[in-house]
Amino acid sequence: MRLLAATALALYSLTGWAQGWPFYGGNSGGTHYSAAAQIDRNNVDQLEVAWIHRSGDSKLPDHLLQKTSGQSTPILLPPEAGASLVYCSALNKVMALDPGSGAQRWAHDPKINVQTERPLRCRGVSYYEEKRVTPGEHCRHRIFTITYDRRLIALDALDGKRCKDFGNKGEVGQFGNDMSTDYISNSSPPVAAAGLIIAGSAVIDFHYAKAPRGTVQAFDSLTGKLTWSFDPVAGLKNSGGANVWAPMSIDENLNLLYLPTSAASPDYYGVNRPGDNGYANSVVALDLQSGEVRWHFQHVRHDLWDYDSPAQPILFDWKKNGASIPALAQPTKQGFVFVLDRRTGESLWEITEQPVPPSQIPGEMAATTQPKPIAPPPLLDTFLTPDQAWGLTPWDRGQCAKKLKELDSLGLFTPLSEKLTLLLPGSLGGANWGGGAVLADSGILILNINTAPFTGQLIATASIPPPEAGGDHPTSGQRFQVPMKGTPYTVELGTLVSSLGIPCSAPPWGKLMAVDLVKGKILWEAALGSVHEMGPFPLPFHIEWGTPNLGGGIATAGGLFFIGATMDRQLRAFDVSNGETLWRYTLPVDAAATPMTYTYRGRQYLVINAGGHFMFNREQSDYLFAFALPEN
Amino acid sequence: MTYIDKTGIIASALSEVIMMRKLAPLFCLLAMTAQAVQLQVSDPEGNPIPQAMVTRTPLDTPTPDLSDDGYAPDGITNTAAVTVTRFTNTQGQVDIAREGKYSYRVRAQGFKDNYSNSAVGNLKLSPMNSQELIASYPSNVWLSQLAFGGDHALKEVFQLNCSFCHQQASPFMRNERTVEQWVSVIERMNTYGARLPEDDIQPVAELLQKEYRGLRENPEQVPAPRRWETHLAAIEMTEWPIGDGFSQMHDFLLHPNGFVYVGDNLFDRLYEIDPKTGEYTVYKVPHEEDARVGGILGNRFTLFPKMQNYMGVHSFAYSKKDGNIFITPSLQQALLEFDVTTKKFITHEMSAGLYPHTIRTDEQDRIWFTLALSSQVAMFDRESAEFTLYDLPARGIQEWLVLKALPALFLLDPEDRPLPSADRDSTGLPMPYGIDVAPDGGIWVARLYANDLAHIEPDTGEITMIDFPYSGPRRLRADANGNIWIVAFQNSLLVKYDPISKDFTDYELPVINELPYALNVDRDRGTVWVNGNQSDTIMSFDIATEGWKVFPMPRQRFFTRDIEISEQDGAVYTTNSHFPTWQSEGATPTLLRITPLAD
Repeated sequence: MRLLAATALALYSLTGWAQGWPFYGGNSGGTHYSAAAQIDRNNVDQLEVAWIHRSGDSKLPDHLLQKTSGQSTPILLPPEAGASLVYCSALNKVMALDPGSGAQRWAHDPKINVQTERPLRCRGVSYYEEKRVTPGEHCRHRIFTITYDRRLIALDALDGKRCKDFGNKGEVGQFGNDMSTDYISNSSPPVAAAGLIIAGSAVIDFHYAKAPRGTVQAFDSLTGKLTWSFDPVAGLKNSGGANVWAPMSIDENLNLLYLPTSAASPDYYGVNRPGDNGYANSVVALDLQSGEVRWHFQHVRHDLWDYDSPAQPILFDWKKNGASIPALAQPTKQGFVFVLDRRTGESLWEITEQPVPPSQIPGEMAATTQPKPIAPPPLLDTFLTPDQAWGLTPWDRGQCAKKLKELDSLGLFTPLSEKLTLLLPGSLGGANWGGGAVLADSGILILNINTAPFTGQLIATASIPPPEAGGDHPTSGQRFQVPMKGTPYTVELGTLVSSLGIPCSAPPWGKLMAVDLVKGKILWEAALGSVHEMGPFPLPFHIEWGTPNLGGGIATAGGLFFIGATMDRQLRAFDVSNGETLWRYTLPVDAAATPMTYTYRGRQYLVINAGGHFMFNREQSDYLFAFALPEN
Repeated sequence: MTYIDKTGIIASALSEVIMMRKLAPLFCLLAMTAQAVQLQVSDPEGNPIPQAMVTRTPLDTPTPDLSDDGYAPDGITNTAAVTVTRFTNTQGQVDIAREGKYSYRVRAQGFKDNYSNSAVGNLKLSPMNSQELIASYPSNVWLSQLAFGGDHALKEVFQLNCSFCHQQASPFMRNERTVEQWVSVIERMNTYGARLPEDDIQPVAELLQKEYRGLRENPEQVPAPRRWETHLAAIEMTEWPIGDGFSQMHDFLLHPNGFVYVGDNLFDRLYEIDPKTGEYTVYKVPHEEDARVGGILGNRFTLFPKMQNYMGVHSFAYSKKDGNIFITPSLQQALLEFDVTTKKFITHEMSAGLYPHTIRTDEQDRIWFTLALSSQVAMFDRESAEFTLYDLPARGIQEWLVLKALPALFLLDPEDRPLPSADRDSTGLPMPYGIDVAPDGGIWVARLYANDLAHIEPDTGEITMIDFPYSGPRRLRADANGNIWIVAFQNSLLVKYDPISKDFTDYELPVINELPYALNVDRDRGTVWVNGNQSDTIMSFDIATEGWKVFPMPRQRFFTRDIEISEQDGAVYTTNSHFPTWQSEGATPTLLRITPLAD
């Protein structure tokens, strides 16, 4: 009976499309789907603000606020854990709110070290019922959060106080917490299951050949004792990274933990890490209890493009010809969606070995082929020829055509050389950390992607003066240089734009797509975002050409897909059947976070963190908005 | 699951010895055979796998000097990592192992590839599952099932324009794409040199999207490729990897001095290969200082990271008088001569004629080559150092006007030169393509787009045009009896033309939906060798018996355009000329030789 109950619970956590939101991705398989249907196609235009919560980050000094990026997706705790809505601020303050009013019930500030050049962020927290603690005792219901400065903290879900039985006064140091946050930090929430709390890391992997290793650690959820760890670059002594910065997924029935691993360091040069780089750029399935590798699927071999696994592996049932296969969908930056049998890692679509161009960098042995699923189709066209250059006027179109003519480009997986090379998609994707939503048991995935072209080249470091500090992705039209210490090269990256700052490819520059993972085809696509605020001055009307976007969306049984993510401060609702925009709301700042929804006391709420776009140089703030239909 | 078991082969040899004890005269021979056979390839049940392809690749080769933008500098000699391929006999046995550090790949139809550093003992191959099996099929069997909605003419247009560089239904191509993505691919290919008519782009994109998906969902519709046959156990294939993934080894020449000369069409380099040692020396073709990449045709590949085709090294022939090699530089108005003694190039400038294409020499030491764009044939007289141009007739007034306007058009910068949009009736120009000299000295030419043949009487200059009742005559060759053999590209046919009876006879190729690019005739042995490019094969046709033999290539996506035959031993040479080369298995172009094994 207990086994049955446990199985039922596991099934519920994985596929039970409840009207709550107990996990970062909706459930432990990250489907971003809710069975809530009170808000539907017919009434979504009546949504109104139910309440607003401010984390307080907006009161930070400007120099700190400018480094923040509110990217948190709250979770809703079950009634026995207090039924609070819990989220974290960019500075890792954890807050529990009344789901109906947004009133703050408790808060915990871990007071992180903010001496960093990197953006501060916290995408969410995790909840776990620690059944080794007697019901009613403190910390039976736990909130786990990882701080930017690499501390794993356990809090009581009911009062926000630290769990004293966990580590040292409620916290344990994470791998790399003895290093600067300019080397290693954190972004995604940890995952909890089977008495373990498991965490990845955010590694600065493009500055250093030997970046910190991407070690994943599992700790006892009661005591904080390290149970196992996994180094995805074991054997690569001159490299690092391959860390897991996107959220992980868990299938407790299969006792498997799914890691979306990133590139080995450095991102754009691999002479120091010959070979395929095994577990990097992969989905790695680990035995939940032991951390042993059960299978792995590498979607980029010997990465030279920063094509990390950017999104949470989405667990769903692949139903075809009367059979139901436990499956996993992995959206990728390079614009493919891989669909795997999550028991074995075998692709459910034939994988074709796509021959790819060789590298011209001395000593660089690029992989000769890269895996490509024979279906679904690529999410974007990865070629851009001079004939396809786009511009508002013949003048800027001509500029773009000239630039494209001078670029090297052999399509996807063209390695960077000492000449300027087209990167399409660039390191922003394709898909990114927003992932996607799978509609109930339909096998239909809806996700947002970027399409704007980047360019890059490798420059001999000895030939140029030391560059100023750059960013991760050239998202705002800038170009920057990043010395890859430990290699002979500096990588220069930029967006491919005309003098008007407009991408050289035809719009849309961000889009929303519905992909049938079972039939292997694209059902529809729609521009995502308006460019009316991207110019030197805002326009009073929307121009729906799509914008670069970060953050994800969610789908509901009401036939809706909600998403912010764009550079136009909009929160939108799309019709899942055809991509039509049914509703939008103008937020004070951009919402680079994934929304969530829940039903509380009979009322469905839609909640999104609007904190601005650090990466897009957009205004920052600290809003958490809740929307609902008018009462009565 | 694969494993090596030496005991099996020993037991097998012992039982042979016992059985043969009474056959004393044969004993020694059999014992020698048993001793020589080192690898036994079997299926999981232990049944021998005949015609398993075993390739030996050296692991220790000298580091080449590739310091000239990834290539050997002019005049530098390197050593290629020469691979050798043999096939198992009917007992599943092959002698391939050698002393030294080698990697061995074993490939058999229906089984998973096996890689090992050893090729002795027993090896069991694991069968492919059904998905792997169908995925392993070469392009031609997939292509055969693209019906283009029953529009046969559209399929021919598609194959003509889209299959002369790469395999059309390779795994790379048959991936799921949206219609818009297919349109984008086709439009890009049209900028690279394809001429798919504008009106056909959208229908072709829709059909490719629909029919590839249909095949993917119903893979049982894809027929199995032709089985590899027993004659393969009697041959050996040798490959010399040269150049890199950006190269394109187009035509080549088997020279009486023992070297093989291969042209890298995209990098203006001549590779002089010594097949005995594996050493090769690279000679860079010089160009004028003000020459541009792409020559007078202009650079169609501006997006490519590397491209040095100022001249465009295309086709080769040697002088029977002094052995010098003549090369058509397709991107210039010129003829190249390579002095095989001094290793220097001589450029013979021409005052007219566009796109020097295929080249042959005759017994009078005259150099004959087609001028594909200007619809002419050129003859270079070495004694007078003068060119004579023969105008092949236009098919109508409009074509005549276009041909006459070409010299004026070529006064314009390539960037500003108008390019008329293609349609099905006017794919551009008649395109004289292949050329050969018959035993009687007559010159024969095939015009690819005009679907006709030209005969030139060299002494009188008289030109006779002959309708070719098939589609896509690319290259042709004459046999010892003066018959002309032609490939019909879009029709997947080998065609014979008898100049006396004026009859055409067609022969179906032994593999389905192959699109033959070229051919050569072994006049001494009465064999026609046909280039495959979609089926990973080349094919031989015995003229007397009209029987075919098929030779599978050792790398997938092996696209061949030229064949040369050794007069001494009948060894056959070809090159892997897939474009782009990196889409071919191994990502490196190779020169390949097929040699009969000694009995």
